[in-house]
Amino acid sequence: MLHVKNGEAVIPGQLLGEKIWHGINCFHEGDNVFSSTQGIVRVEKDRVKIIPSAGGYIPKEGDLVIGVITEILTGRWVVDIRSPCLCALRGEEVTRDPLTTDLSKYFKAGDVISAKISYVDEVNSCQLTGPWKLDGGIIIDVNAKRVPRVVGKKRSMLNIIKDKTGCKIVVGQNGWIWIKDNKVKLAIKTIRKIEREAQTRGLTNRITEMLDKEADG
Amino acid sequence: MDIEACLRKDYITNQVNDGKRLDGRKFDEYRDMEIEKDYVGEKACGSALVRLGDTRILVGISLNVGEPYPDAPESGVMTISTELRPIASPNFETGPPGGEAIEVARVVDRGIRESNAIETEKLFIEENKVWIVFVDIHALDHGGNLIDASGVAAIAALVNTRMPKYEDDQVIRGEWKGKLPVKCTPVPCTSVKIGDNILIDPSMDEEYAMDARLTVTTTDMMNAMQKGGQGTLKEEDILSAVDLSFEKGKEIRKVIESL
Amino acid sequence: MAKDDVELIKNGKRLDGRKFDDLRKIKIEVGVLKRAVGSAYVEWGKNKVMAGVYGPRELHPKYLRDPTKAHLRCIYNLAPFSVEDRKRPGPDRRSVEISKVSAEALSSVVMLEKYPNAGIDVFIEVLQADAGTRCVGLTAASVALADAGIPMRDLVPACAAGKVSGEIVLDLMKEEDNLGECDLPLAIIPRKKEIVLLQMDGKLTKDEFKKACGLAVDGAMKVYEMQKEALLSSINNVRIEE
Repeated sequence: MLHVKNGEAVIPGQLLGEKIWHGINCFHEGDNVFSSTQGIVRVEKDRVKIIPSAGGYIPKEGDLVIGVITEILTGRWVVDIRSPCLCALRGEEVTRDPLTTDLSKYFKAGDVISAKISYVDEVNSCQLTGPWKLDGGIIIDVNAKRVPRVVGKKRSMLNIIKDKTGCKIVVGQNGWIWIKDNKVKLAIKTIRKIEREAQTRGLTNRITEMLDKEADG
Repeated sequence: MDIEACLRKDYITNQVNDGKRLDGRKFDEYRDMEIEKDYVGEKACGSALVRLGDTRILVGISLNVGEPYPDAPESGVMTISTELRPIASPNFETGPPGGEAIEVARVVDRGIRESNAIETEKLFIEENKVWIVFVDIHALDHGGNLIDASGVAAIAALVNTRMPKYEDDQVIRGEWKGKLPVKCTPVPCTSVKIGDNILIDPSMDEEYAMDARLTVTTTDMMNAMQKGGQGTLKEEDILSAVDLSFEKGKEIRKVIESL
Repeated sequence: MAKDDVELIKNGKRLDGRKFDDLRKIKIEVGVLKRAVGSAYVEWGKNKVMAGVYGPRELHPKYLRDPTKAHLRCIYNLAPFSVEDRKRPGPDRRSVEISKVSAEALSSVVMLEKYPNAGIDVFIEVLQADAGTRCVGLTAASVALADAGIPMRDLVPACAAGKVSGEIVLDLMKEEDNLGECDLPLAIIPRKKEIVLLQMDGKLTKDEFKKACGLAVDGAMKVYEMQKEALLSSINNVRIEE
């Protein structure tokens, strides 16, 4: 028995239904299922889940993230990926002999990199792989929960932005987005609009319209 | 290490060197400033909230009766303190005020004190009894340029401060008699140097990218200055910051005085 | 202790014209601050309180870290100008105590186990105080936590009841708090009506306590409806903005 409709806004602790299957951001007590986060209800067949409207980033294996090198230790770097966890990049990623090499030759403290999360343990500590230094450009932060909207289905939204602004863009799942070259300000403006209106319908059309209008100006 | 500084510093610097600011402002342009007087008007003797871009500062004024300083036995006393509350920024912590908070308080203090904005001689009650004016600067959201927002909020609050009633050697709380005597409106204006450029009213990102900072507090003359940051300033930088501060100070003063 | 010259209750009405079970006027705003991850502003009678949430983020000092769950800290702070007689800046015993019981009340609903080793910071800034600030603070804090997207089992609305001139009344204002016989602030988990914060000072009989407690719980339920409304409209506002 479902008490909410698809697309309805809910708050933490709100009753969603009884004796139903539930996915992310829900919890149950006995037969009752509640939301644990504020957001929007999605009903898929007989399963209910909540798309959160706010919140921080929790690392997941396979995610591409953007991070800042904060410390160089023996054989590895410590990276801040905007999440309350320890995140390490092993020296083996760039050199065969990390213990005797001067790692600051590759990345110094303060450098910004993109990398994939290769491993997350039970206390959310994680390891990175495939580091790439992001030189120049600007990094903006968006709500991590809105990142999927910025990327779009099969990267459709991101491709539109790249196309119309001519920018190089790397989207970190942790909500940091790197933008370089050409119409950076327009790209930022677009991403901010997507972030604000993430939960509205027809967003792709509005974004295309806006970009068409402003890209010429 | 400041993570946020790593993310945008270089880009901001390059943009400024190309003559542009990230938010599209001109170099001599302030962000939108909103002043709301008597924001907490029920308990405090005076108050004002200033929104400057994303920065939000609340200043409250309290008046008490106390002893004058021995070297000025017939003058009232003003003390300014700043609390950079941890609600305002991920980098602020609880505990006693640190260097940044004390700097804000002292720069604002100097502007108001040196311009003799508060007519302290009118705050004398009787021998060994004068009014003490407490100015409390409370940072709620840190989006850059705390000094200007604090200074404007402080003077806007002072201009609109009520005097508590004083009868039979007692302050009567909740009853008022007249206003705090304030005769001029000092306004601090802060410029930063990025590369070879002077920009007024730095945003948070621009503060990360700045080499040096200069605050000039003006009335019809200059009343206080403060240089900050690790970089250097040339004489011409200082002179253009001074000109800019006079010009912008005049505009802001008009807004404060028309409240 | 009631002074003769102030009549707190007259013809069944209170000083400000409220009935015994009326709340003061309450306004709740969500997402008022830029830097904080989640925030809320609550006006409750003459009380003005802002709450901000940071985190989950790395926790310092390290010895507080718990590999099984996050550590929730709460700092309640009274602005120097929030009261008529200026309050000296910095924590005093009262605000440290309120911070502690508020943190405990919030910890009972926040799913701390989702963020091992992390810290969640809740800051409550009282900008203007007029009795009942801990209830206002807690009400604002749980809205700010929800706004920060932190998973919770429920919100934490709070409300006080007390005894004034021999009558049990809801939501004491300053004069009633000063001159009344008893103050009983409490906070609840609305879904189960379980109590997560309870303090009392003054004099009450057991029957009076039962009555006051019931009144405060009903009051908190009304507060909950306002919290809910504020949060839902903030989610929906994002959606229709164009």
